[in-house]
Amino acid sequence: MRIGGLAVGVLLTGALHPLSDARASQAASNPSADDRSLIARYCVTCHNDRLRTAQLTLEQLDPAEAPAQASVWEKVIRKLRAGAMPPMGSPRPDPAAVSDFVATLERTIDHAAANRPHPGRPASAHRLNRAEYRNAIRDLLAVGVDVADLLPPDSGSFGFDNIGDVLGLSPLLIERYLSAARRISRVAIGSASIAPTTDTFRVPSDLTQDTTAPGQPFGTRGGLVIPYTFPLDGAYDIRLRLARESVTDAVTGIRGRHDIDVTIDGVRVKRFTLVDGRLRHEDGSLAPEERGTLIIPGSRRNLGFYGDDVARVADEGLRVRVLVRAGPRLLGVTFARHSAVEIESIRQPFLRAAPENGDSHGAPYLSSVAITGPFDGTAGGDTPSRRRLLTCQPSADTAAVACARRILSTLARRAYRRPVTPADVNDLLAFFREGRAAGGFDAGIELALTRLLVGPAFLLRMEFDPPNARPGSVHAVSDVELASRLSFFLWSSIPDEELLTLAERGRLRDPGTLERQVRRMLADLKAHALVENFVGQWLYLRNVPHVRPDRQLFPDFDENLRQAFRRETELFVEGLLRDDRPALELLTANYSFINERLARHYGVRGVYGERFRRVTFEDGVRGGLLGQGSILTVRSYVNRTSPVLRGVWILENILGAPPPPPPPNVPALVDTDNNGQVLSMRERMVQHRRNPACAGCHAKMDPLGLPLEQFDAVGRLRVRGESNEPLDLSGALPNGKAFTGVTGLRQALVTQPDEFLTTVTEKMLTYALGRGLEYSDAPAVRGIIKGAAGTDHRLSSLIVGIVKSAPFQQRQAADAQRK
Amino acid sequence: MLITRRALPRRAILKGMGTTLALPLLDAMVPAATTTAQTAAAPVRRLGFVYVPNGANMAHWTPAEAGKTFDLSPILQPLAPLKDRVVVVSGLGNSPADAWGDGGGDHSRGPAAWLSAVHPKRTEGADIHAGTTIDQLVAQRMGGHTQLASLELATEATGLVGDCGGAGYSCVYIDTLCWRTPTSPLPMETNPRVVFELMFGDGATREQRAIRLRENRSILDAVTAELGRLRTRLGTPDRTRINEYLDAVREVERRIQHAEAQERKSELALPDRPVGVPDDFEEHVAVMFELQALAFQADVTRVTTFMLSRELSQRAYTKLGISDPHHAISHHQDDPDKLAKIAKINTYHVSLFASYLERLRTTPDGDGSLLDHTLILYGGGMADGNLHSHSPLPVVLAGGAAGRLAGGRHLSQPLDTPFANLLLSIGQLMDLPIDRFGDSRGALSLT
Repeated sequence: MRIGGLAVGVLLTGALHPLSDARASQAASNPSADDRSLIARYCVTCHNDRLRTAQLTLEQLDPAEAPAQASVWEKVIRKLRAGAMPPMGSPRPDPAAVSDFVATLERTIDHAAANRPHPGRPASAHRLNRAEYRNAIRDLLAVGVDVADLLPPDSGSFGFDNIGDVLGLSPLLIERYLSAARRISRVAIGSASIAPTTDTFRVPSDLTQDTTAPGQPFGTRGGLVIPYTFPLDGAYDIRLRLARESVTDAVTGIRGRHDIDVTIDGVRVKRFTLVDGRLRHEDGSLAPEERGTLIIPGSRRNLGFYGDDVARVADEGLRVRVLVRAGPRLLGVTFARHSAVEIESIRQPFLRAAPENGDSHGAPYLSSVAITGPFDGTAGGDTPSRRRLLTCQPSADTAAVACARRILSTLARRAYRRPVTPADVNDLLAFFREGRAAGGFDAGIELALTRLLVGPAFLLRMEFDPPNARPGSVHAVSDVELASRLSFFLWSSIPDEELLTLAERGRLRDPGTLERQVRRMLADLKAHALVENFVGQWLYLRNVPHVRPDRQLFPDFDENLRQAFRRETELFVEGLLRDDRPALELLTANYSFINERLARHYGVRGVYGERFRRVTFEDGVRGGLLGQGSILTVRSYVNRTSPVLRGVWILENILGAPPPPPPPNVPALVDTDNNGQVLSMRERMVQHRRNPACAGCHAKMDPLGLPLEQFDAVGRLRVRGESNEPLDLSGALPNGKAFTGVTGLRQALVTQPDEFLTTVTEKMLTYALGRGLEYSDAPAVRGIIKGAAGTDHRLSSLIVGIVKSAPFQQRQAADAQRK
Repeated sequence: MLITRRALPRRAILKGMGTTLALPLLDAMVPAATTTAQTAAAPVRRLGFVYVPNGANMAHWTPAEAGKTFDLSPILQPLAPLKDRVVVVSGLGNSPADAWGDGGGDHSRGPAAWLSAVHPKRTEGADIHAGTTIDQLVAQRMGGHTQLASLELATEATGLVGDCGGAGYSCVYIDTLCWRTPTSPLPMETNPRVVFELMFGDGATREQRAIRLRENRSILDAVTAELGRLRTRLGTPDRTRINEYLDAVREVERRIQHAEAQERKSELALPDRPVGVPDDFEEHVAVMFELQALAFQADVTRVTTFMLSRELSQRAYTKLGISDPHHAISHHQDDPDKLAKIAKINTYHVSLFASYLERLRTTPDGDGSLLDHTLILYGGGMADGNLHSHSPLPVVLAGGAAGRLAGGRHLSQPLDTPFANLLLSIGQLMDLPIDRFGDSRGALSLT
């Protein structure tokens, strides 16, 4: 395939009628012979019945009948909008003609879709995923659960883990649901039968503990804050372990005096004082000295350590038993900071803090906290979950069942997200009676709750066809079903009381009500789920905790940076949602949210402390998603950047034009030329273009990723590339528009915003519906974007548009039954 | 003959469903065989693996003579009372655990390749890759007959995030010996209480456990009924998920019924549920061995794997008079004093294993003892801890394998015979229809 000059491509830039411009499409004329001759002249040369290039033939198709063959024409629209067809180097029509053609196609299809919608059919039985399970428990019972501990990971599809068709059920999962239900019920009720268990919380070894940790008071350093639900009033053992050097197993940095505080809800319950590794008791005496030899100080890295035995048992005494009231509390462990003086040494320490192999900065660090209990627990304490659950108390034996009926009806209605039937309540009451016979009122509620949490009414989101619906017919989903769609979309959780009541009364679709509810839900704190789950998967934020850049090449990279990357992108998107900014600002923002560690990484001056604050970038290079460390690092290899990974990311998530997967057995790129000279990244990529089998896709990917070479594999700015050559940041969009560097890329994307808006909308619609999108959803996507044009495509407008769209509001009945 | 769920055609099950699923239908699918119902013609074979880390003092491990007349080496002395029930195998090497160009990381490759005989992928990220281990192949075949397909136990949990040993390998390679598929490592449980609950159910006493089992079953019955009602409201193509749910619930009910049946029929006096992890190492190991014996005895599972201690373990065996950490001494640098200490640790581990074998020997099982019907491989993934070599590996086989393993021998193999040959033989002894495993070049002759 010939690769034509970029000059040809320049002519086609930005000339298509933007979807974002609501007025333009009305000016186009009806499909005419012009369109057919356009196709005949420029397309059918390859896309004919004989050649069937890319399995597509347009020879027999009539654009005037576009709705009947929408599956084909939507592909045409997509390619034409991206400027990807006809391919570079082939004869291309006048841009105005192309844009008229596309507008006509779209209008024809959208008009037909408005009269005969195809809303699609999300799964009838859609299982809650882990995040939704956790949030549902939180909202139903005010109990926090660690789902990673209780449930296995979910399968995903189309980039999200809330796609109904792939969320399956297995015996393992049922067993886990059963044991999770038991545990949750026990904790929610505060049952006396809770036996002591141990929960251990670990601090990543490469997280800095030299400065104040988030959530800890000033004057402390390091440590951990753990939100923990204490199931009963009772005694709990808290045991601390400190970080150790990996070869000798000695606790690091124990010389001198160190105070370790244990706090519950901010109140100190214990202070441990270690002096040279030995615990100082309350009365001031020191723990007996272990036998051991003194090793000459200075034999390891300026910091000597004392006898092996003392160093290895230094944290043996760090355990305390405290009395705690049941309920969710914050357990904190931290070191008192005695001096703000920085540790001095001859060499500038790395920004990374990792007590490994003698790399300690001369102080002990926390490694893990284990909470064991409850011991001597008493049931029936006053906890948020008991208050939520026990809406009445039995006063006499005869009132017990009536009270239980009330409690269980209220619970079931919220848990099942619909009005309850007598069958529902009687089922639960049967278990209440069984549990009560064995252990009393509370035990009865506990058993009924366990039953509730394992059943399909809780675990599955159900949608039904109306009785006697014609196969394939379209119907509006019921208000109750709509309420669930809304709450799982915006909150990844069950509907709250207000939403559910409106739905039960059939008032959800009253004029203005739906939009008011959407805005109310977006303003609620629970909407953080949208950032955590939608954005977390769309922008690969969930991968950030797992990136492991090569430690030799990137010695400063540590857990602090990992956490900061993720937090930055989360805060950024959250800010855009909260302030209701235009969607394009995701790309064009000249600001972000950073803390000191991130500022040092990005080279921004004057930012101090752990707190994230909004910072405007003056250089015009950073800003927006394309300049954030999270994405740049996740889309790199551990030892170098990858223009291909980054290019593909842009194609998939910004331009909505994902390339096909690579063929198998692709060999590694050649790093050096025949003389052993290390090749620059651009030179290495040239090999893609030389091989015709590769060039087809790489001609689009590489020119998008190479301009981002000004960011290295961990997102830092640089002026020289892999082989120390000055960077050549020229690149091009798939339609040929040329630009330089990330600034140029940003500007180029802004002049043709439709691709990005379409991609964002498509991703969000996929997430909202819990199914992959098909060609029949394209009219809805276009409608949403057009509808939001009046408000500059604010994110909230897009979200309201999604909620009001046909695929969200309606559903198709099943096709004719197959035997 | 064992009746499994697969014997009943699925259509029969669905046809039998109206709005509820009656219990008698389930009864027909419950395996009728228990340990007491075995006959000599159809013995129930068990398989066990026990792993020790950081290499061994091979000079003191390998017996001098080969064949049927040999003296136990100093390290293997604790096995003296059971000499006629063990087979020492020497000369095996596990080449997939070698570097093969990946640099250091023998402590990671050793365990990952031990039961898989596959060279694991060097990565700290999520793209871990090893091989399906032989215990899981056996468990997949036999697991349908028992409550748990297999049991994976260890004494030391991971404490490090990301990399272990600083060689670019994810901690998961050291944390586990068992891989269900080349990309699915199985977690190993270190808490005796959790293991007990996994095997015998929730509840501190036998009565409580029985109550819980019964409650779980009645909950699942109600769920099945609810699913039945739900199903009638859906058209045929929409019932897939509901059917999947029903299948899953049924399978769990089968396991519960099995557990209940065992509970009723067995005169097993279960010990009290352990509270947690004992502070003392010896006690911890003893509890874990006891749980494995119980698991075999109650037929909760027929495949167990136990990591007695973890690679890179820093444990100081102060009871033996050794204050140096295990891993530190294993880098002996040919110091005779350190070599002696290593031998002492190795001997200690063997003695713990010997106690377990004794427990199996004295437990009646069918027409013999548990030891008669079990096959256990005891050994390590590393040979010399200083050189980080993987040949010649320390290997001892124990048990009768229900008549297929004759004890009291030292089989000396040509040096560097693939360890996978032994794994293949073990698989075949357990009736796996395989003729290759890992990098095997043919089965070892064990009979």
